[in-house]
Amino acid sequence: MHIAVLAKVVPDYEVPSADFELTDSRAHSRYTRMIGLYDENAIETGVQLKEACKAKLTIISYGKTEDISVLRKAIAMGGDALHLVMGDSDDPFVIAENLKMAIDGLGDVDLVLAGQQSADMDRGVVHSILAGMLGWQFLPQISRIQSEGDLWMVAQAHENGTRNLQFSGKGVLSITSIPENVPRIPVVRAIFAAKKKPVEKIEGIPGTPMNAKEVSVEIPKMESVCEFLPIEDMAETATTLLSKLREERYL
Amino acid sequence: MTRIPYWNISYGILIDLFALVAVIVFARGAYGHWLRIRQGKVRVRKAVDLPGKIGPVFVYALVTKGILGAKLYKKIFTGVAHGFLFWGMLVLGVGTTLVVLNVLFGLPVFQGGFNRWFMSFFLDLAGFAALIGLLFFLIRRWLPPERLVTPKARIGFSVQIGILMAVIITGFLVEGIRIAATGPDPYAFVGNFMAAWLPGSALAAHRILWWGHGLLCMLFIAYIPYSPMMHILLVPTNTALADPMPGSKMGVMDFSSFDDEDAEEMPTLGCTRLVDFTRKRLLDYASCLWCGRCHEVCPAASTEKPLSPKGVMVTLAERLTNGQVEDENLIDDITEEALFACTTCTACMEACPACINQPKTILKFRQNLVMEQSRIPELMGKAMTSLEQRAHPFFGTGSGPKEWCKDLDVPIFAKGETEYLLWIGCSVTYEERAQKIARAMVRILDRAGVSYGILEESRCTGDPAKQMGNEFMFSELAQTNIEEFDDLGVEKIITLCPHCYNSFTRHYPPMGGNYTVIPHAVFIDQLIAGGKIVPRSGGQSIVYHDPCYLGRRNRIFDAPRNVIGRLGRLVEMPRHGAESFCCGGGGGNYWAEEVGTRINQVRSKEALDTGAERIATACPFCLLMITDGTKKFTEEPKAFDIAELVAEGLE
Ligand code: SF4
Ligand code: SF4
Repeated sequence: MHIAVLAKVVPDYEVPSADFELTDSRAHSRYTRMIGLYDENAIETGVQLKEACKAKLTIISYGKTEDISVLRKAIAMGGDALHLVMGDSDDPFVIAENLKMAIDGLGDVDLVLAGQQSADMDRGVVHSILAGMLGWQFLPQISRIQSEGDLWMVAQAHENGTRNLQFSGKGVLSITSIPENVPRIPVVRAIFAAKKKPVEKIEGIPGTPMNAKEVSVEIPKMESVCEFLPIEDMAETATTLLSKLREERYL
Repeated sequence: MTRIPYWNISYGILIDLFALVAVIVFARGAYGHWLRIRQGKVRVRKAVDLPGKIGPVFVYALVTKGILGAKLYKKIFTGVAHGFLFWGMLVLGVGTTLVVLNVLFGLPVFQGGFNRWFMSFFLDLAGFAALIGLLFFLIRRWLPPERLVTPKARIGFSVQIGILMAVIITGFLVEGIRIAATGPDPYAFVGNFMAAWLPGSALAAHRILWWGHGLLCMLFIAYIPYSPMMHILLVPTNTALADPMPGSKMGVMDFSSFDDEDAEEMPTLGCTRLVDFTRKRLLDYASCLWCGRCHEVCPAASTEKPLSPKGVMVTLAERLTNGQVEDENLIDDITEEALFACTTCTACMEACPACINQPKTILKFRQNLVMEQSRIPELMGKAMTSLEQRAHPFFGTGSGPKEWCKDLDVPIFAKGETEYLLWIGCSVTYEERAQKIARAMVRILDRAGVSYGILEESRCTGDPAKQMGNEFMFSELAQTNIEEFDDLGVEKIITLCPHCYNSFTRHYPPMGGNYTVIPHAVFIDQLIAGGKIVPRSGGQSIVYHDPCYLGRRNRIFDAPRNVIGRLGRLVEMPRHGAESFCCGGGGGNYWAEEVGTRINQVRSKEALDTGAERIATACPFCLLMITDGTKKFTEEPKAFDIAELVAEGLE
């Protein structure tokens, strides 16, 4: 069995909004770069599957040479190989085509896992486009995966619960975060071993971009609005707080 | 009348043969201890240059803590009882030896003043004192305090106490019958008292008691290594070999063999079995008295966390005794939750009369869990991931690195121009409440006209990684800092956080980073003493919470108190100074989901109970923990860093 995990290198997702700056419509280069938040959950899920199914685990990324040092963490976490498709497009169709090329190149991939967010401002569309291009099924928001014979049993996390699904054949799954797939801290010998593993660099292809052009990007100004709730009755305060948060669509 | 040795006894010299047997059995048992301890690794440590250190032996510590038992007297009744017993038995031992020397070589010990004062009065006094000590310990074994039985009581002490009591009582009976038969010995006050009640004609009973006394003595000696009484040798040895520098000394690790293609074998990181520990650690476990003093002072144990430092020691001691040195289940038996509940406050070390380094053992297990097994509680893991990704552990922070100094004109450290590096540290950079410490310190330094500057990029020293067990991450962060300091030519550093101070002074020098480091509390004290700043006294009462990493670990107690003394009336909590109670934030536990009572609430309550108007501290982690802790009891902001109080007094 061969599992591929898609991992991308993104600017620190925790840069406080007050500190956030754009250059050329993109996050400023001074921000620390790291593997995408949910991608680490996908890697962890992949490592667990690898351990359970004695599978091979390949990490695939689309990006630049500088990303390699960051991506080595995925190897240290348990990936067997790292394939980097070289390119800097942020068009989801182009990225998906490049990833497809890498997956086709591997030849025997059974399952592709990816974090539920994409680097395309978190719209998370790359995986579904990729699944379409591969002609495989796409299942988003997956929290658990189990292999049973020829079948994959998966749990899909919803706001209000879980849906269990099963499918056979190949698939692209986007992975959500649950306590069971909190990314492991790589152990020291794996970090050192990862440094020595060769990385397969693949020349990217131009692909077919969307027929859309970026006109402008704007970051919202940070604004804080304070409201004091009366706290004579704690239960009532809590109810009011909850309804206000719902009204404002925070919950 | 001159006392006659072996009075009424035939073949008394035979007792020396029994003594020889006892000594052989004793030596065999003691050798067994050595064989067990020898299974640990040989300690590789550079000699610490201390006056009076001979080879690996810290002579001062051996005398004060090992022989005089200075730490025992922190519990006055136990201390005095132990003193009575130990010194009493020692004097009795000397007396017995003198008798043997008299018999063998005619040493004139039964003559004149020496006989009257030492052989009669002093030996009776010693026996009496030892008996009182034994009675105290016997009663305490029957009615034990909680610390002796939690999580487990040590059996075996009572047998030896019983034997010793029998030895002393038979000794007095023998003396009483002898005096009753041969006439009073005015200086042997116990013997005379006994003689008043005993018949001088009971010569057969005297003989039986004499032999009973002698054989029980030999039994006691032979049994020592097979009983907890072995502590009379193990504890002084452990004390003599324990580095007297306060706090847990974790050293730094060399990871070069992990990078070395030709290295035969990579070392195991941290410890998972008893054989992974050094001989000194195994000696720790063998020396443990199971007295529970560490358990009693441990903030984790006293707030219903699953950790008991005594429990850890007891588990290891039992495995060592049973020869289970290869047992891989140690960590699972002690439990991961217990090991990560340690705040590394080192209160246990401070309290331990046997000079045992409990936190070091705990941290060695943590190192293995984190660096070899990738096992760590979720929140700590997130903090560690953040450290790896962003060089600070404050994940989910809403603050940017420059937020603390917005609207302030803070100079950047300039090579060759700036005198002090003001090291801001991670908590002060990223935690909103702690940011005020740096803002206050900047005001103080500006007012005092100090030449200082900050780094352009803020970073953590690596302390949280080290205390959570990730020595590798610590060394990477420390190396980055050292390289930057070298580039900038940094020589003097002012720290705002005692954790940074501790790292810079203890862990950076072995990695090549040598600086003059001054905690901000000390620096402020110096500025006030030098008249550089003159803060106004608000006349308020201020209670001071000693941060573990500043006080207990680095013995800085006076400077912050001097500062507070200039600002108002200093109030002390019942637990302060070296006996201070942790805020709960150390050892990565700032990122812990606490079970049981929250440590910061216990400490905050203790501070509030003093009735002081304000709570002062000198550590950003303590400030954050206590600010949070007081919220349970009052809405009023009560906790402040001393820099904030001083800056307020400058306005
Ligand atoms: S260092 Fe502190 S928290 Fe850790 S075991 Fe000792 S007393 Fe308990
Ligand atoms: S470690 Fe020290 S304080 Fe704790 S039980 Fe053992 S001897 Fe007592």
